[in-house]
Amino acid sequence: MNVRRITAVSTAAVVAALLVSACGASNSSTTAATATTTPTPVATGNPTSPVTLTEDGSSLLYPYLEELETPLNTAYPNITLSPAAGGSGKGQSDAETGAVNMGGSDAYLSNGAEAEYPGILNIPIAVSAQAINYNLPGVSNLKLSGNVIAEIYQGSITKWNDSAIAALNPGVTLPSTTIVPVRRIDSSGDTFIFTSFLSATNAAWSSGPSFGTTVTWPSVSNEQTASGNPAMVTTCQSTPGCIAYIGISVEATAITDGLGEVNLENQAGNFVLPTADDINAAVAAGATNVPKDLRQSLIYETGADSYPIVNFEYLVLHKGQSALPTALAIRTFLTWAISPTGGATAANLTKENFVALPTSVIPNVTAAIDSIYVP
Amino acid sequence: MILVRRRAGGSPTGPARASRARNTEFSAGDKVFQWLAGVAAVIPVAALALIIVIMVVQAIPAIIYSGLTFFTSTTFSIGHLYATTLTTHNGVSAPQDASYGALVFIVGTLATSVIAICLAVPISVGGVLMLSEWIPERLQGFLSTFVDLLAGIPSVVFGLWGITIFGPFAAAHIYPTISHLGRFIPFLKGPVGFGEGLLTASLVLALMVIPIVASTTRELVKRVPVLAKEGALALGMTRYETVRVVTIPYIRSGIIAATLLGWGRALGETIAVLLIVGDLTLLPHSIFASTSTIAATIASTLDSAFTDYTHMALSALAELGVLLLVISLATNLAGRLIVRRVSTDALPVGRGI
Repeated sequence: MNVRRITAVSTAAVVAALLVSACGASNSSTTAATATTTPTPVATGNPTSPVTLTEDGSSLLYPYLEELETPLNTAYPNITLSPAAGGSGKGQSDAETGAVNMGGSDAYLSNGAEAEYPGILNIPIAVSAQAINYNLPGVSNLKLSGNVIAEIYQGSITKWNDSAIAALNPGVTLPSTTIVPVRRIDSSGDTFIFTSFLSATNAAWSSGPSFGTTVTWPSVSNEQTASGNPAMVTTCQSTPGCIAYIGISVEATAITDGLGEVNLENQAGNFVLPTADDINAAVAAGATNVPKDLRQSLIYETGADSYPIVNFEYLVLHKGQSALPTALAIRTFLTWAISPTGGATAANLTKENFVALPTSVIPNVTAAIDSIYVP
Repeated sequence: MILVRRRAGGSPTGPARASRARNTEFSAGDKVFQWLAGVAAVIPVAALALIIVIMVVQAIPAIIYSGLTFFTSTTFSIGHLYATTLTTHNGVSAPQDASYGALVFIVGTLATSVIAICLAVPISVGGVLMLSEWIPERLQGFLSTFVDLLAGIPSVVFGLWGITIFGPFAAAHIYPTISHLGRFIPFLKGPVGFGEGLLTASLVLALMVIPIVASTTRELVKRVPVLAKEGALALGMTRYETVRVVTIPYIRSGIIAATLLGWGRALGETIAVLLIVGDLTLLPHSIFASTSTIAATIASTLDSAFTDYTHMALSALAELGVLLLVISLATNLAGRLIVRRVSTDALPVGRGI
């Protein structure tokens, strides 16, 4: 009898939960409504009781945040950072709905999302880049341009010894291997910066698939898909003839797995690798015109050495926080994360091949962090 | 437990009072039980109704936006989220160039499940007949347990095995032979790829469906009247003739029902198919080509759909869900109707699944 009652009660609870969640789903968008009543300013410092900050999203940012866990906990014993991957799209949507405290994203939020969730912040905490890798044993120092890569992903260039590729690589013996373009299947910030680069360098791409965390890819007969940066590496490694776009934080794995790294043609016509110097060159060129809301790509910037696929790594979060301890922990963490003496040390950044935020954007980033409030 | 404690600590003493008290308490217990049982009985019905209603309500904007192109378009795109303008159809707005065509997924779902069921039914029925007619009884139990265990393997394991071991093996050693037949059957022609795609998904689905069809068929075969079989043998028929003349006609309609149940399972299978089918929104031009199914698309697109600030992509996925629900319910109902029509007392359909 008791068992039955428990079963019945628990099933009733399940149905009730279903009903509640069904009702909840319809007004989830209103949770982000603006609250302009006298905001409580939020200080920084170690919270009085333990606070765990949840984060998910970008698989490019994820290794860096994992790196920050321990030093953060040492600096502020009551703040625990709990990062996860899942793709930038997941980071964005989970931050929007409040499923996590912060969403990691290689892409800034779209205008539409900004309008739908007012008071949402895009806070850059580091600068990242993206490498283009290929699986062609015996071919090193391959040079490619955005225009050619766009044609590969559109299916108009299908063999590695195509004349367009040969023209960029004089003196290199290219095999007749079929090109297998690999792309992300999840909603990805890497897709965002990659397609931004293709849009900047190929007119047909710009007017066709354009750019975004999810785009409608032209169908290429032997394309492959992967979910997350680590899977991009393993898929490319197991597929001869593959080409893939891989976030710089997992590039070390790609290289050890035997993938080649493409020298990309920049706006000045030079072929460059994603080294710290070439990334910094792009930052120097692009950081001069970053808007106050910090939504800016550093794609295909001017400058002789600028690497063409560079981006800010964002943490997306709501300006208005419901609980004071969480707000305090978030503000403390972010302030610490962008500080060269806190999380953004050369050692931490170098481990993931990231570079520090340019000093010119720091005032705007600090202003954004300081705008966090508790209504 | 609570009732017992209250009775022990209660004020009435003496046998008469005690029994009266017990009587009233039992009737109270009866009432509570009746009420709880009633609630429990309502829950499954309410849950189904709730799911259907919520899905349909969610899907309405997409149904209006897409109209009939939902069934005819091969493009499923959530649109340009970073574009500055929206695309409006029939008064409903979605991100620029959003298009929610389900034709690829409908074809993919039907193709994978039909190929799977066409392979699974002969194997299951043949295997069960072999088991019941020719294998010694002692081995029968052991072997049927084996088939039942197949049903217990989580589908994600099937998917993982399919994509890492079976697919690459088949692409290297089996598919090239099949593709030679492409000279006679055009759909079999084409590059065999790396082991992802329609055929691998169908083969793995077939493995997953076999236990369902086999266990149902086994119950059917058990019910074939022994007298009829003995009569056939007494007339001098061989075992094969007995199976052909007595057993198969007796279980034929039941097999149709089992087929429909297995088909329902194959239609809705998500994770194994998602891992193997290639997950591309392309109509398969050969049996080896990558494509996608309704269930796999819902799972793989959900993540992107959540980033659509107009919420139209979620609505489109709900529309896909409704479509899958309708197809699955239709096959399930058809299975039940056939079972009811061919058998006076209910067949043990679905037992052990």
